[in-house]
Amino acid sequence: METGSTESENEQETVIKEEVNLQFHWYLFSFFMIYFGSLLIPGTIFILYSLFFFIPNVMGTRNFTSLFTELVPLLSLIFMPIIIIICYLLHLLFIALITRWFWNITEKKSPTKDGIIPRNIPSKLLNYYHIRAFMLKYPKYIFTKGLFPWLSNWFFNFVGSSKIGKGTTIEEQVCADKYIDVGTNSYIGVSSVLTSHLVDGIFGNINYFELKVGNNVTLASLNNFASGSNLGDNSFLMPWASGGKHYTVSGNSFYSGLPLRKIFKSKINEYLKIPQNLIIEEKEYRNDPNNLESLKKALCEYNDSQSDIMDENNSTITKIEKETKAQAVIIDSEIPEADDKTDFALDFATSSAISKVNIKFLVLYIPIIWLSGILVSIIWFDFTRNKPPIQADPISWIPIILLLPVAIFAMYMTFVFGCLFFTKLFLILVNLIHKPKEGVFKAEIGNSDFDFWCLRTELKKLPIFLTRNSPLPYLDACAFRWLGISMDFSSHLNDAWCDTEFIEMGRKVMVGQGSVIMSSMVVGKYLFIKKVIFDDYTVVGGQDTIAPGTIIGKDSVIGALSTTNYGQILEYGWIYFGIPCIKLKENKYAESKRDFIRKVDVDEEKKYEIEHEVNIDEDKKALLKI
Amino acid sequence: MSVPASLKGGPFTPSVLVRKRYVSYYIFLIWVSMISAILELWVYWQILWNPIRPVHFYIFLPLLFFVMYLTMVFTSLVFSKLLLVIVNAFHKPRTGIFLRHPSDKDYRYWSLRNTIKRWPIYCSHKFPFPFLDNICFKMFGVKTTFANSLFEGWVDTEFIDFGREIVVGQASIVQSAVIMGNFLIIKKTIIGDNVRIGAHCVVMPGTQIGENCILGAGSFTTVEQVLEDGWIYIGTPAKKYKRNRFIEEDLEDKLEHTQNIDIEKTRMKYEENFFVRHDKHISLREKVKHRKEQLEEEHRRLANAS
Repeated sequence: METGSTESENEQETVIKEEVNLQFHWYLFSFFMIYFGSLLIPGTIFILYSLFFFIPNVMGTRNFTSLFTELVPLLSLIFMPIIIIICYLLHLLFIALITRWFWNITEKKSPTKDGIIPRNIPSKLLNYYHIRAFMLKYPKYIFTKGLFPWLSNWFFNFVGSSKIGKGTTIEEQVCADKYIDVGTNSYIGVSSVLTSHLVDGIFGNINYFELKVGNNVTLASLNNFASGSNLGDNSFLMPWASGGKHYTVSGNSFYSGLPLRKIFKSKINEYLKIPQNLIIEEKEYRNDPNNLESLKKALCEYNDSQSDIMDENNSTITKIEKETKAQAVIIDSEIPEADDKTDFALDFATSSAISKVNIKFLVLYIPIIWLSGILVSIIWFDFTRNKPPIQADPISWIPIILLLPVAIFAMYMTFVFGCLFFTKLFLILVNLIHKPKEGVFKAEIGNSDFDFWCLRTELKKLPIFLTRNSPLPYLDACAFRWLGISMDFSSHLNDAWCDTEFIEMGRKVMVGQGSVIMSSMVVGKYLFIKKVIFDDYTVVGGQDTIAPGTIIGKDSVIGALSTTNYGQILEYGWIYFGIPCIKLKENKYAESKRDFIRKVDVDEEKKYEIEHEVNIDEDKKALLKI
Repeated sequence: MSVPASLKGGPFTPSVLVRKRYVSYYIFLIWVSMISAILELWVYWQILWNPIRPVHFYIFLPLLFFVMYLTMVFTSLVFSKLLLVIVNAFHKPRTGIFLRHPSDKDYRYWSLRNTIKRWPIYCSHKFPFPFLDNICFKMFGVKTTFANSLFEGWVDTEFIDFGREIVVGQASIVQSAVIMGNFLIIKKTIIGDNVRIGAHCVVMPGTQIGENCILGAGSFTTVEQVLEDGWIYIGTPAKKYKRNRFIEEDLEDKLEHTQNIDIEKTRMKYEENFFVRHDKHISLREKVKHRKEQLEEEHRRLANAS
């Protein structure tokens, strides 16, 4: 670190140092444009249909049976859901159109290209990179979490943020929205992370390279690939098989493991229980796709033979259980006396104290929803009162129709804050009855600590669910701070599963996609609750699991797909990796070179460095220290 | 416990669509459930709408929306079960290894069954209370009890048998069908009583997990792997680690004291440092001064970085 500072002292006069500001106003502007623009026309159609057809005809008929016997009410009733679906699809279409318009504007001003983006030199490129990232959030959620997730492929192709081939299915995941190129007929399993941008530590650079996935690639779940990776055609990956940045996989084979390795017939048979002849037939089918018949015949034979075995063994599944129990007993007597120290050592992590479903928790939800709902009804009442019927005076309804998106937004926000407020009231009451405390408890229904932990978790679920699903930033940070996680507004906890208390975060902590932060853990019959502390400027990688009691020192980085142990303390300024994580190397990301990238070729099993231009505006290139 | 903003979890139906016309079943189910909700709104309107004194109408409106939502979920469940029964009569679901190609009948019908189940599951999972998820599972033939927690991860909706008191950890995936290359592998997964599946685990089809097992965080099992009763399994792929002795009674004291004493001391030190920064009794002046110092340090760090 000393050599770094003397170098920069000499350069102080020549290099401009500015803090990079996030262009929040552009994000909010684009979000509101997309939201209002997309709701205007569908909202108008829906209101006009309701006022002219639905309310007079359906709500006007007093008799239940005449709803179904007379033609006009029956048609109005039948068409109502269809109108709702059509308005929803129009809403999606307009979102796509407006997003595409904005995207093209930003692309013209600063086109997307490969390279490492330095984060300490403010540049137009960096600003547009952030704007594009924010802009895509709300539309992406609407498509992938909406009623028709099959349309999200079309959406990404239409907007131009990525290229996704025909026949590809991308299941639920956190990334896979920007700058990726997926071929045809691929299947990307659930909770995989295909990210084209990667941040090296809080003070480091952004790696931004296109991620290419070939045709007919299947990723079973939980695979991670970062920027610059290239998965060739016909690569088939097992769960957890992942690579980091710039991994090249040539394809036409099965892969597994972390780090990624090719696997061959014997391992494929061991992991997937596919008999050898099927593996050979499948390879021949890949070479000659027209030759389906022999593969189909082999599959039919296999399935018939399996079903024969199943019919025989259907009643003998219990026989298998008894056999394994008998084997376990034999092994029991072979093992020496139980060693208390190692047997009870908590050197693994499981999962949090997830409360069992219980109807009595509904008793808490209903008052909260009702009270917040009454606030919303009051707003709606005020919005629509004293209006003559539309047939009499259509002009006076035009302001209402145009302001409808605003009203919906205001009602939604009222509902969210209402839920948050009433939940906090209930929480204060519950905490007075039983104070939350750390320690080791019995994880059973009778134990008061476990019961109250479940109660507190259930209470907090509703407001956190609402604030996390809202498109505005910092709203979930508000909710977390109020409900028990002490975090700074500069930290991001957006895409992680986290327990809702006993977590403390410092400044500028970045928690990766799909991570799991546990402050409670249940092992067997016992519940462990201990506080998790994140110090300033730490980075938690994607898909990590953080056990209770972990303390993460300042400036340290935990790599993706790692796990920490109960009570593990991670030191200042190191990079950790593994299950469970151990020290790998010192965190020198901020000082790393920017014009070299390290590529990994999985099939040849070698690593090499090549030079690549740094991704920055032409006029700022002089500022780079080479 | 809260779920990330961009993921849903819960009962999982792969969104593979082999033929575009399967979406028509989906739209039909949406239509039917909405009609039932609208009929309820009609009944409420007839009873309570009074243009002169609308206060009763508006006060009970939130409750009505909640009841309408429940009606929508239950209607969609009933009708999707009906459709499933009809579709299963045409082609009985079976386990095995199939080809991932539109000409394979089992692949097409697997995709069709998933599309039919999609809408009730989407509806029931919209609400943060997971009670409806368990009802979905029971309707679609997964053997489970209401005491199981299956909603923090992704769990398939057919060919799985659950025992009692099972917890599936966050971000875990319990599958009965997996797509590997040109194959679609469907096998029956059986999970015994009192099993705890850790965070970020993948349970492949055909796995049989014995009673009182723990699958550590970050592991996956292979197809048709048998995990024996009462052991802790960790690793990729999962291997035996040690016996599960955490089911014995009266271990609270022992567990508290198996921790390293040094860790506790250093932890106290960290706790002190950290607590000071977030202590609410700091005066405003001190806070501003501290914030200035932080920003200066950051500037310095960035200067060093370049």
